[in-house]
Amino acid sequence: MIALGKMRGQNLILAILAALWVATIIGLSVLSPAMFNAGTVTNILQFSTILSLVALGQTLVILSGGAGIDLSIGGTVSLSAMLAMLAFKAGMPIVLVPPACILIGLALGAINGLLVTKLRILPLIATLGTLFIYSGTALAVTGGAAMSGVPAWMLAWGRGSISSLPLPFITIALPAFGIAGIVLLWTAWGRWIYAMGFNERSARLVGIPVDRVRLLIYMISGGLGGLGGLISLAWLGSGRPNIGQNLELESLTAAMLGGVAIVGGRGGVGGVLAAVLLLVTLKTGLLRLNVNTVWQVGVVGVLLIAVLIADRLTTHRR
Amino acid sequence: MGAPIAMAEPFLVAKGITKRFGALTALAGVDLEIRSGEVLALLGDNGAGKSTFIKVLAGAHAPSDGELLVEGRPVHFASPKDAAASGIATIFQELALSENLSIAENVFLGRELKRSVLGVPFLRRAEMKKRVEDLLVELDAHISDPTAAVGSLSGGQRQAVAICRALNLNARMVIMDEPTAALAVAETRKVLELTRRLAARGCAVVLISHNIADVFEVADRMVVFRRGRKVGERLRSETTPEEIVAFITGAHADVRALEKTK
Ligand SMILES: Nc1ncnc2c1ncn2[C@@H]1O[C@H](COP(=O)(O)OP(=O)(O)OP(=O)(O)O)[C@@H](O)[C@H]1O
Ligand SMILES: [Mg+2]
Repeated sequence: MIALGKMRGQNLILAILAALWVATIIGLSVLSPAMFNAGTVTNILQFSTILSLVALGQTLVILSGGAGIDLSIGGTVSLSAMLAMLAFKAGMPIVLVPPACILIGLALGAINGLLVTKLRILPLIATLGTLFIYSGTALAVTGGAAMSGVPAWMLAWGRGSISSLPLPFITIALPAFGIAGIVLLWTAWGRWIYAMGFNERSARLVGIPVDRVRLLIYMISGGLGGLGGLISLAWLGSGRPNIGQNLELESLTAAMLGGVAIVGGRGGVGGVLAAVLLLVTLKTGLLRLNVNTVWQVGVVGVLLIAVLIADRLTTHRR
Repeated sequence: MGAPIAMAEPFLVAKGITKRFGALTALAGVDLEIRSGEVLALLGDNGAGKSTFIKVLAGAHAPSDGELLVEGRPVHFASPKDAAASGIATIFQELALSENLSIAENVFLGRELKRSVLGVPFLRRAEMKKRVEDLLVELDAHISDPTAAVGSLSGGQRQAVAICRALNLNARMVIMDEPTAALAVAETRKVLELTRRLAARGCAVVLISHNIADVFEVADRMVVFRRGRKVGERLRSETTPEEIVAFITGAHADVRALEKTK
């Protein structure tokens, strides 16, 4: 029941991203023909898995409005992985590490949600504060050292793949996007998120429990961060205190590139997944071409601005 | 139009409603009765307290003092949801519609028809669309597609959507705050017609307007607010636009007398 105009906007963004992606792949394979093989695809998807999960959380937080943003998401990834490993070292059975990552993520997200909905702190400030707290604590618990000891069965899943598609990507990331897409489009909850994101006052007047929904969404974002932490353990084989570094900026970029309006209420998850794949392809390609990291960041910035301009132009014509 | 007024038991009675915002008294002891099947107009200068009063009726503000009775029973509204449960629907001055959603989605927002699958409330879109289609036809609103985005509608059409929403909630009383303020002539006609149609269905209708001509066209009874007090109440058949204007500006003898006693 979504308006035609909005669908057009979403499809337009998907089309632009697909075109950019194809252009990137063609460009990179001309520059370095040996680059694209099954191994590279696996590699790109592996790097995409964690980013796609936190970008999904970021997207939900932004969509639901109220100047929503989750800057702490990278800290949540690092801290959930570190605390779960710490608990394991302290005697918690290893089978509890996966649920522990998720629960810790949910709890960290709940802290953000409570700061925003109960104490009414601006999300930008609240999550900037918790970013420092979470990522600082992740470093502090081991004094910056990694924590090894991830068992083989977790590694088998974290590093495994089926026909060059990494297992974490197809068992976690894709289902997460599928579920989010279905909830947003076909359930009452989805309508509430769009309504409160676009016009919070009216959402409150019709009786939508705005604060409860928002708290839940910050928790979901944290939980997705916890999943990201879990995947980092299973993939890398150790808990690394800085694994979540820069994820807040990259997830934000993916959400914006994917057509999510920063003011909330507009956008979808399909574009965000496409944007994550584009970003990671570009970064991987530039890395392989030995391009300076400064330029890698610059290219991402140019992309972001180009897509925003395209979006602005089409919105104005409507 | 206003024949059964004297007979009917009031749907809502407000007694001594007072509302203070800090040191400012926005409403001072307002008594008012609102009857089913009747269009009641609230008039008054900017800042007279009209919007504040209907926000109290709508559950958006708790009164600082006073009592509300719905069908003779005292009620206390903590939120618009409570008011809605008592059959009161409000169309606020700033229309509470979500422009990024469709007409049908707006009509059902917050009370969607759903089918629960494993506790997940999936939307029953076809049914919601059908129901809204029927309501739009019944109101003769000239909107053909309930799946169109509200953002693409004109001001009058948006009022129609908001009225649909109220009807869909089975509202017994519909409150409209300046529904015609931003509308062109033809659209204003349409909304006034909708207002009469609501009353004809047995709804109590409360309407705020600054346009005296509109009010005389549509209202059965008029109540004038001034500086937070009710200064005049007249049946349309017993008054003239000149008298109502005198009430609003404070030139009326009754208002002078009232303001002297204060
Ligand atoms: N939430 C609030 N907090 C403080 N003061 C308020 C609030 N809402 C209204 N007021 C004040 O109460 C008084 C009455 O305002 P109200 O909006 O009810 O007037 P009104 O009759 O609807 O005017 P208008 O015709 O301009 O819409 C005004 O002085 C206004 O500034
Ligand atoms: Mg007003």
